[in-house]
Amino acid sequence: MSSTYILVAGDARISALVAAAPGATTAVVVGTRAVADAVATSGVGSVVWLGEPGDAPLEAFAGPVADLVAAAAPDVVLASTRPADRVLAGAVAARLGAPVHTMASKVEVHDGAAEVTRAVFGGIARQTLRTAGPVVVVVDGGTLGEGGSAPVEEVAAAPAPTVRVVETRAAERTQVDLGRAQRIVAVGRGLKAQEDVAVVEGLAAVLGAETACSRPLAEGVGWFTKDRYVGVTGQHVQPDLYVALGISGQLQHTVGARAAGTVVAVNTDASCPYFAEADYCVVGDLYAIAGALTDALR
Amino acid sequence: MKIAVAYKWAPNPQDAAVGADGSVDWSRAKPAVSEYDPVAVEVGRRLADATGAELVGLSVGGPDVASPMAKKAALSRGLDSAVVVADDALAGAGTTPTGRALAALVQRLGDVDLVLTGDSSVDAGAQMVPAVLAGALGWPALTDVVAVSGTAGDLTVERAHAGGSQVLHVTGPVVLAVAADAVVPRVPGMKDILSAGKKPTEEVPLADLAGWQTAPVEVVATAGPELKVRKGQVIDGADPAAAVTALVAALRADGVL
Ligand SMILES: Cc1cc2nc3c(=O)[nH]c(=O)nc-3n(C[C@H](O)[C@H](O)[C@H](O)COP(=O)(O)OP(=O)(O)OC[C@H]3O[C@@H](n4cnc5c(N)ncnc54)[C@H](O)[C@@H]3O)c2cc1C
Repeated sequence: MSSTYILVAGDARISALVAAAPGATTAVVVGTRAVADAVATSGVGSVVWLGEPGDAPLEAFAGPVADLVAAAAPDVVLASTRPADRVLAGAVAARLGAPVHTMASKVEVHDGAAEVTRAVFGGIARQTLRTAGPVVVVVDGGTLGEGGSAPVEEVAAAPAPTVRVVETRAAERTQVDLGRAQRIVAVGRGLKAQEDVAVVEGLAAVLGAETACSRPLAEGVGWFTKDRYVGVTGQHVQPDLYVALGISGQLQHTVGARAAGTVVAVNTDASCPYFAEADYCVVGDLYAIAGALTDALR
Repeated sequence: MKIAVAYKWAPNPQDAAVGADGSVDWSRAKPAVSEYDPVAVEVGRRLADATGAELVGLSVGGPDVASPMAKKAALSRGLDSAVVVADDALAGAGTTPTGRALAALVQRLGDVDLVLTGDSSVDAGAQMVPAVLAGALGWPALTDVVAVSGTAGDLTVERAHAGGSQVLHVTGPVVLAVAADAVVPRVPGMKDILSAGKKPTEEVPLADLAGWQTAPVEVVATAGPELKVRKGQVIDGADPAAAVTALVAALRADGVL
């Protein structure tokens, strides 16, 4: 039977990984005991916990994780796209000499060869790729899973001694889980000023929607928190309704919202790329349209 | 002492033509220094100036990585020199061979305790090369880095973390993936472009690098992107009230509202 190792760094939300894992699953957990315990009840077969991290960042466990996985020689290694999880996955791939696949939709093992179907080049095409050996697959982790009570084995590991956390500053704004939102109003660089975020929030409120944005509005200007930007390196969302205001529709953005049920794009530019991927293409000013739509739905 | 910056010479897939069968034609997509890599170069430049280090650009890829245009484009961003591996075998190479080849290049260069990278490449967007590179070197990696100060062996690193931030102390060699908004990179002027042509560059034969290969990956099927069929119904927004009436009616008819 084939076997899958799931790498977890400090966040037990791995339902999508458990669902995608072929064969018997073992989770390797870096983080607190509480995280290991939560992983143990998320449907995995067994859990290996590397011990309390103390003031070491979770990335400092990448070496021990790579040693452990190399010794077990699984067919597939899965990890979420969260930052520290990616560092663990990269170290494992380097050690195993295994290819890394992101944006994967299917992972199978046939006669010891791994077959992965994935979007390539940021989502412009799809490929099914076969490797006669282990593969590392990095995808959205999903939510907190439920199921079983796997044994937790502690294998205390020594983190790299050369990096330590000196100070942690908590988030000032609350974190959102856009992956579960049923309606989303997203805005891009068509928005002219930070105070105009209120326009977007007003429309979202009458729709019962979450607000989101393109990457430039979450970086540099910081009008939104980084967990609110949608796209290849951001959130992958699947709402029933996605309203994109003043977003041009570059591939790196649209790929994060392609699973949406209905897409409404509002743009002053009738030739903007988003209109090729939208159900309703409103050619107009986002301020005027968002305002009128808010009034109409109030 | 050297600080290395890994950069990628890559086209934007937005400009590629894709056939219904998933075949990708890159001929109209012009490569460039990948969008976020100049941010890493800028962070490296400031740190090198503050510490008297040499800032070396590293890139691996297909033959075009060694073209005068590619080298000048990278060097004009503020690097002191560039070392590249340009070989057909690395054209379009995946994350693992790319990361391992970069690691081998870092080892060959020597006297490097800090490697900076951008957040993600424009063509793959996987955010994985810094992690593989660090893993291959046996060094720790940190991502989403917004500020670096100090000298290699005694670095203070600040990074975005869970919506807040974290400050770390690093006393050994490290790979840092720089956040896209860590600094605003300089726009190269005429002087930068002219002086870039005079900076030292080295082309290392791929045969000089050991251990970069990985298990072969065979493409068994290709397909176009997974796209839902969209209505593409255009609504003229010149009269916002009328446009919204039409939109709301359509969304109600669809059962979305
Ligand atoms: C490696 C990499 C990864 C990336 N990852 C992501 C990602 O995950 N997510 C992401 O979003 N981006 C990502 N990007 C950036 C992406 O390529 C685009 O640059 C970005 O999505 C553009 O954002 P935008 O559409 O808001 O801005 P622009 O492209 O500037 O578009 C603004 C749009 O607003 C319209 N507009 C202006 N005024 C108005 C008005 N008054 N009313 C209506 N419309 C108006 C304009 O016509 C234009 O179409 C990534 C880039 C790289 C290189």
